[in-house]
Formats: sequence, C-alpha cells, structure tokens
Amino acid sequence: MAYENLAFLIPLLPALAFVITFFVGKKTPYGGGLIPIFAIAASFLISLLITIGLLQNPDQVISQSYHWFAIFNLGILIDPLAAVMLTMVTFVSLLIHIYSVGYMSHDPAKPRYFAETSLFTASMLSLILSDNILQLFISWELVGLCSYLLIGFWYQKPSAASAAKKAFLTTRIGDVMFLAGIIVLFADLFKLVNGIIPEGVYLLRFDEIFSFIPEIAAMNATILGFEVSHLTIITLLFFGGAVGKSGQFPLHVWLPDAMEGPTTVSALIHAATMVTAGVYLVARTFPMFIAAPQSLIIVAYVGAFTALFAATMGIVMNDLKRVLAYSTISQLGYMMLGLGMGAVIGAEAVGVSIFHLVSHAFFKALLFLCAGSVIHAVGTHDMRELGGVAKVMPITAATMVAASLALAGFGIPGTSIGSTGFFSKDPIIENAYLFGEHAGNWFPYIFAIVAALLTSLYIFRLLFMTFAGKPRTNYGGHESPASMTVPLSILGILALVFGAIVVEPFNKFVNSTFVNNFVNMDIPALAEVGNYELVHHAGQEPLLILWMPVIVAVIGLLIAFVIYYQKAIDMSRFVSKDNSVYKLLYNRYYQNEIFTQLFAVKFVYEGLAMAGYHIDRFIDGIVNVISYLIIEAGDSFRKVQTGVIQHYSVAVITGVSLLVILIKLVMEVF
Amino acid sequence: MVDLMLLAPEIIVALTGLIVLMIGIFMGSSSKNVLGYIATAGCLAALAMVIGNFSASALMFSDTLSVDPLSQFFKLVFLVVALIVSIASIKYTEDNKDTEIFYALVLFATFGMMFVASANDLMVLFVAFELASIATYALAGFEKKNPRSVEAAMKYLLMGALSAALLLMGISFVYGATGTTSIPGIAQNMDVLASNAIGLLAIVLLIAGFGFKIALVPFHMWAPDTYQGSPSVVSALLAAGSKKMAFVAAFKVFIVALLAMQADWRMAFAILAVITMTYGNVVALSQKSVKRMLAYSSIAQAGYISMAFVVLTPMALTGGILYTLAHGFMKAGAFIATAVVVYMVIKEKRDTEIPDHIDNFKGLGKKMPITALCLTVFVFALAGIPPTAGYMSKFILFSSTIQSGMVWLAVIAILNSALSLYYYARLVRYMYAMPHEGEKVSEPVPYVAALLISLVGVMAIGLWPEPFVEIAMQAASVLVGGI
Repeated sequence: MAYENLAFLIPLLPALAFVITFFVGKKTPYGGGLIPIFAIAASFLISLLITIGLLQNPDQVISQSYHWFAIFNLGILIDPLAAVMLTMVTFVSLLIHIYSVGYMSHDPAKPRYFAETSLFTASMLSLILSDNILQLFISWELVGLCSYLLIGFWYQKPSAASAAKKAFLTTRIGDVMFLAGIIVLFADLFKLVNGIIPEGVYLLRFDEIFSFIPEIAAMNATILGFEVSHLTIITLLFFGGAVGKSGQFPLHVWLPDAMEGPTTVSALIHAATMVTAGVYLVARTFPMFIAAPQSLIIVAYVGAFTALFAATMGIVMNDLKRVLAYSTISQLGYMMLGLGMGAVIGAEAVGVSIFHLVSHAFFKALLFLCAGSVIHAVGTHDMRELGGVAKVMPITAATMVAASLALAGFGIPGTSIGSTGFFSKDPIIENAYLFGEHAGNWFPYIFAIVAALLTSLYIFRLLFMTFAGKPRTNYGGHESPASMTVPLSILGILALVFGAIVVEPFNKFVNSTFVNNFVNMDIPALAEVGNYELVHHAGQEPLLILWMPVIVAVIGLLIAFVIYYQKAIDMSRFVSKDNSVYKLLYNRYYQNEIFTQLFAVKFVYEGLAMAGYHIDRFIDGIVNVISYLIIEAGDSFRKVQTGVIQHYSVAVITGVSLLVILIKLVMEVF
Repeated sequence: MVDLMLLAPEIIVALTGLIVLMIGIFMGSSSKNVLGYIATAGCLAALAMVIGNFSASALMFSDTLSVDPLSQFFKLVFLVVALIVSIASIKYTEDNKDTEIFYALVLFATFGMMFVASANDLMVLFVAFELASIATYALAGFEKKNPRSVEAAMKYLLMGALSAALLLMGISFVYGATGTTSIPGIAQNMDVLASNAIGLLAIVLLIAGFGFKIALVPFHMWAPDTYQGSPSVVSALLAAGSKKMAFVAAFKVFIVALLAMQADWRMAFAILAVITMTYGNVVALSQKSVKRMLAYSSIAQAGYISMAFVVLTPMALTGGILYTLAHGFMKAGAFIATAVVVYMVIKEKRDTEIPDHIDNFKGLGKKMPITALCLTVFVFALAGIPPTAGYMSKFILFSSTIQSGMVWLAVIAILNSALSLYYYARLVRYMYAMPHEGEKVSEPVPYVAALLISLVGVMAIGLWPEPFVEIAMQAASVLVGGI
C-alpha cells in the first residue's frame, strides 16, 4: 500500500511549513496561517489513511529504520498506539490552527505564531512515531523548546516571559531524569550484548529494548541499602520525565502558569501536544513498566494523588483558564492512574488510558476554545466579572455544556448512552476498584472517586458562573466568527458521541499494540518477571460500583447548581481571608511560598547563593587572568608578523634548522 | 592498457580550462559570464566521473600514476572546492575583461592538485605541485590594480620559490639515498636513508616544503598576508583546496614512502602540530580583519589535521582525511561569505582600506540574512560544534588520539578548540547582536548558491556521517597497508 511510504511526511510537512512560514510567512495568506493548515491537513489525511489500513490489519505495523551514527537509528514505527495518537494530534492541531486564523487575526506577530505552532506539531508527531528511545528524546526536547517559545509568545509581558522560563526549567528537571534513564538503559544493553552490537541491530529501538526486559530486570543495584532492579530504576527515571512533561505532582507547577500564552496555545499544549507526551512515553514503554511492579504502583499513586490534588484547587480558582489548567492536571492524573492499573489488568490498561487521553484531547480542546471564544469576545477571563454569557454567545455556550458533560462523565452504565468522558474515565475508576479488591489497597480508588466528585463540581461552577445568570459587569461581546464556531461545533459533537461509538473497537485496536509483527510481548510472562499475577478483567463489579462515578458527578452538579445558580448558600461567608481551608486552596497549598519563603529553604538557598557568588568570583578571576594572558600573547605574537618578506624567509630557514636539531636532541635523549 | 576513463576527471578539467581560455579570447567582456557556467559544468562533470569510479584502483603510465580511493577522495575534495569557487566567481568576475584567465587558472590549479592526488612518483608529484602553485600565484594577484592583491601574490611567490627549493632538495636527498623517485620504490629501498644522518635532513626539508602549503608554523608566515590580500574567492581556493593538496602529498610521501623513518617524522609533526594549532588560535584572537582571522584559523586547523601523522592509526587517518573534506566545505564557505561582505562594502562605497574589517560584519544578520546564517554555521563548524562536519571530523580524530594513548595531545587539541570558540563566537555576536547600518542588501545569486552548497556539505557530514566516514576509511586503507 503506497500511503505507508508517505509516513515520513507526517512530521516532515509541518516541519516544512515551519521553515516556510518562519522565513516568508508575512507574504503568505492569513499571515502565514494557510501553509501550516494545509500541511497539517495533509498529515492528518495520511495518518487517517494509515490508521484505517492498520485497523484492518492491526498486527501488520509500519516499521522503517535507517542507520544513524553507527549504533543509533532514525526510524518510523506506526503501531495502533502511535496511529491513534497521530490521528488525534493532527486532527486537534488542525482544528486549533483553523481556529487560530480567527483568534490571532489582530496579532501583528502572526507569522511567528504559526511557524512555532507548526514546529510544535511537527515535534510532537515525530515524538509519536519514533521507533527508538533516543529519537523520542530528541523530539521530546524539541517539544519542550516550542512550548517555551509559545508560552512566552507575548514576551513583552514580564509574566509571560517568566511563565515560559518556569515551564522550561520545571520540565527540564523531568528531562534530565529521562535522559539519565536512557543512559542507564543504554549502558545495561551495551553490557548485555558484551559491547559488540550485531550487524543490523538497533540497540535503542523499542523491540530490542523489550527483548532484553528479563535480563535488565535481573540486574540489581543497591541504593540506600535497598536492592533495586535496574529495570525499576530505568522506568522510574522515565516516569520522572513523564511527571515533568505531563504536569504530575510535584512538577505540575508550570502548567497553570502556562496560561500566559495565547489561549489557542494553551489548547494545543493541554489537549494535543506536550502534556500527553508523558503519558505516551509511559504507554510506549509499558512492557518495561509491567515487569517493574514497584514503578507501576508509583505511577498509580502519583496519578491518583495528582487527580485529587489538582481538582481541589480547581474549585476555588476565579480565572477561567486556570480552572481548566487544574482540570488538565487532574485528568492527566487519571491517565497515569489508568496506566498504573496495568498492575491488575496488564496491557489493557494502555487502551483504557489512551482512550481517556484521546477523549480528553477532544473535550479539553473544546473547553479551551470555548474559553478562548469568550475571552476573544468579552476581553476578560475573570469569572467574577462574567455571567449570562449564554445569551450573547449561544453556540459557544451550547458546546461548553457538551464539553462539561463530557468532562464530568455523565452517562448510563450498562448501556451505550453517555458522553465521551463517561466511557473513558469510568473504566479507569472501575479498574482502580479492581485493584483495591485485588491488592487490598483502596487509596487509588478513593482518590479517584473523590476527584470525580470535585471534577463535576468545579466544571459546573465554571459553567454557572460564566454562562448562566445575569452579567455582573458591563461587557460588550458578540458571537465569534465562523472560523471559530465551526471547530467548536465539530468538537462539541465529538465530545458527546465519540465515546459511545468507538470505545469498544478503540480498546481492542490499541490493545494489539504489543502483539504484532514488530514486537510480540507475552504480558503475563512479564508480570511473572515482576513477581506478581494479573487479574483478568471480569467486568462483574457490583452495580453500585458501576453507578458510583455517575452518582458523584450528579452530586457535584447539584452542589454547583445550588451554590452558584440558586445562590442558596452565601459563598462569601466561606470565600474570605478568614477561612483557612479556602486560603489554603486559593493559595495553591502555598507551593510557591514553600519553595521560596520557608526559612530552612531560604537559608540553604541564600547560603548556596552566597557561596556560589564567591566561588564564581574566584573562578572568574582565574579565567580573566588566563584570557588576559592569552590575548596579550596573541597581540605580541601578532607583531612577529612584520610583513617583511626577508623576515619570513629567515623564519623558514630557522625553522628547518631548529627542527633538525630538536629532533636529533629528542632522539638522542629517548 | 591504460584505462583512460579513470583519468576522465583530469581530462575534463584540463579541457574545460582550455575551452574557457580559447573562447574567452574572442568574446566581448559583456558576454563572458557564460564562462563561469562552462567552468561550473566542467567541475560537475568531473565530479560525477570521480564519484562514479570511486572504488577504482589502477596503476598507469609506468606506475607513475596511481588511481585509488585515496586519490579519488582528494580529487573529490578539490573538485568540490573548485565547484564552489567557480559558482561564486560568476559574480566576482562579472564585467571583468580577464574572466577567461581567471577561470583557466582556477581549473589549471585544480588540475594540478588532482594530479598530486594520484601521483605515484616524486617527480610527477613535484611537477603537479608546481603546476597548481604557479596557477595560484597568478590568481592571488588577479586584482592587478589593487596593491594588497599584488603584494599578496608577490609574497606568496617568493616564499613559494623558497619552499619549492627546499622541497626539491629534500626529494633529491631521498633520490640520492634510495636511487628511485617512485613512491613504493623508495619504501623498499629505505635502509640507506634510514641509517644515514642525511635522512633526518631530508625529512625536515620535505616537511618544510609541504609545510609551506599546509601553513605549518613557522612556514606559515605568508598565509595571513596572502589570504587577506587575495580576492576572497581565491583565498577560498588556497585555504580549502591547495592546502589539502599538500596534505595528500605529505600523506603519500611520509606514510607510504618514508614509513621506515616514522619515529623521526612523527616527532617532527607532533612538535609542529602543537605549535601550529596553539599559535594559530592565539593569534587569531586579536585579529580585526575577518579574512586574516580565517587565515589563522586555517593555520590552527592544519595543526589539528597534522595530528593524523602523529597518531598514525587507521582511525586517526580516517579522521584526518575526513577533516580535509569537512574543512574544504567550511573554509570555502566562510571565505565566500567574506566575499559577499566585500561586495557589499564596495556597493555601499564604504572605506575599502580593509573591506573585511569586522566592523563591516555588524548587524549582518539583518542586512544579509542568508550570508550571516551560513557564516554562523561555518564558524561554529570550524569550532567543532555538533551537529556539523567540523564536529564529526574532530570527534573521530580526537577520539582516535585518546584511544592510541596520546591523551596529552588530545587535551591540547581540545583546549585549543575551546579557545577558538572565542573568536568565532565574537564574529557571530557582531553579526547578530550589533546594530546594522544602511539598507538591507540583496545577496547575489551565485554567492548564495555557493554558500548553500557549502552549507549542505557541512550539515550533511554532520548529520549523516556514515557514507562520508565510509569513503574516508577506504581512502585511509590505501595508506595503512604498511602500518
């Protein structure tokens, strides 16, 4: 099939669009918007064709590799996991680009915007279809760079510049761990092949890595007196990278600040690119995690905790975009939790988690674009100044309701009626229940169910405060142009019906990721490597458990309705500086303060800064003296070059004589 | 039976030179632009022939010529440089009435260099060496009305004559002691020379003779004056092409013919390599003329490449040979970029006393974005920053040095690379961080084409090194037979 050979174009077209738009964007239509749109549309078509082809033949994945620097390779791997991600990313990115034409129409720096977003998309696509961990890392870093550029897009604003820096540096902590993981992995693999890499073997390609899992798991290191398998170390380091990129606790601090970029960029970061990269990394290397149960449990705990932790902050934020930011962190927590549940259900966890990723991409992109539409029309994103927007912007409001229903996960268990979020989030919560039953550890389940309650509460709070009631301030406003409402409507319909239609085939499709012509993983055997057993998904949970997520969602809706629509309870009593819980939440658990103000931290920090300053001055001094001497030497040597040809001849003859004498001497001595 | 097809590249280059010269005489100066295209086509055709016959191996004309991967590799280097220079010169020689002479000289010089690459006899080598040299003497003084150009040519000629004398004297000592001028023949009859004191003198004289072209300290003193005074396109030919000719000659003479005396000449090269790279980098620090800075950088690079003689392992030779190709792209590109700046200076009627003064590079990123971008890549490549050709070749050369246990040499070389970054980065700072004067200048197409070819070469070797390392290895394998 010919379109398989076009796979390399998927990341290349947006990359080319970046080059063209960057250099001559001003001269192209729509301020450089048209070329990226066409490029990404083409990438989307290719991805879609490949996905359809793959759907018919899920075990015949596309894999092409080329040598690069002797032991590395450049390659493409499109298996079901990569195929759905590619389709989702290109599709969401395409809609966001179309929407941006309207949204960014007043911005003079449009060419730069479109150039950077297409590079962002290109890096993410290349990350997805990498067939080896090194190429994935390189794209990973490019994604990080683009996020820095785009969050700081309005670099004239100091807050944007510092948010960009914060995002870059925070994710860098994760990146360093990821790189360390790759280095340990490479060192282990190199040792396992005894330093001789057979012809035609690409050591860092996923199939090679996976084939060495039992051997790596058998290597042990002693850390602080504990015997730890190398596989656990590597997977935890990889997860460290994912924590940074996917905004998990405690490296989530950059995500809410990332709102400083244009809202479309937030949508791109939160829905399609960037934050999903971490989840994708864990899913991509999932066989390694399966064989390292300790890592898997940590993934589950971090995910569950993040889901709850971020949701608690979501309910007190007054900024439209910040609520959505915390919502993203919380939902990413669910995805990680979903992956962590691989400890009971094996590779099916990937299908469940990635389905939530895809459905989240749709409704989160929609939420952001709705928010963008509101901000574009009324010029503020403080919810206290809004209210009654539904009257002015009916399409936006309707799509927003659809997105909220999806996020809160409304649906009827046991039937195929329900929003997308219902079909994607509930299985994660049910798996957490299974895990509790199986391992006797109920924390993930309790965290997940409480987070579901809070999710419903914060999103309907947002809905009621913004769209219902009467305007609280005098804003103008109008419905957004068609280039913005059309993508909204498409996404709105998807948010409602996508889940019901595709959940079954989707999970089946993605679950074939690890059994095909590229890799053939025996998941239960991997679990044996990790010394535990998998439960086969029974699907026979008590009815109450099936209904539980929906019940809490309804409770959340009711609370929000009573408080924020009917105003039955006067919230101002609670929303005050005297209420310590509110203060704690509103100040985001004082995370910033803890990092900067705490006495001990401050002391250490300032002590270090002081010491660093003096060491710096000392080293500077040495460097300055050396550079002064060298430059002086250069100056005086320069004067040897007199320009007089006689001197040159003398130098040649002297050089010959000295060389003869010198060699003679050295030869005699040694 | 001589397979003339293997000599086709040389024949094409020589014929193109003659054709350009002949038809140029009968042309009005307005239509002479076509000569540049003819020369370019000739270089391309010859290049295609070299690549097509890359793995050929044959001895010709009573074993005085040897076509092998080593000669093919260096012919590739020379033809690539000639191609870049020819394309750039289409603009440089525009409206010049001596265009045909310029191109004929460039092609004859290239012809000479190619013959050096395949010489298997010291006499052929010497004659070809001089053919290339004499053509470049005339090229250096091509701007007859420009005193700097004439001075550059004069110094180059006088020093060249002295060096030729030293070289010839070295050759005659070798001949006297071995009774033959054939390179493999010398290797077989080395016992007399190796045991005689005259052997050491012969080696030092040969090093001095080749060291002149390579620009090893202290035989380098002509180089900064000549590179600065010559037209930039000629400097590109000298630094990127003619320097490599001396390298291939030295590879053949020392590693093949005089291998028995390796203890002596490895010592000599060790001393000279260290002095050369350090001196070149230190003096480059305080230069105000960019071409002069590039000249010193070129001296320093010669020091790095000379490390291949000292380490003398197959890997080091591969690194050294790859470095010649990489340096060809980087240096030719960098000098062409200065040519564009000189063109701008003349066009804006600025002070032309030192047209390549670093002040004229201020704000180049805004004035001439393509040139500035290319030059940035070239100087970073020269400093050895990944992912460029300069990084790849330095990596192979330096790591082979460490592998063979000469950590001290590698440390000196790496410190030198770090030092060199100072003056390269300064140039980049001038281009991007300083305000520009005057309007944006449109960059002439031939210059841009030449720059882009160099850029592609630099990036290709850096990003996809396998094929280039492979052919450099083949070339090195011709030399390592004896080691």
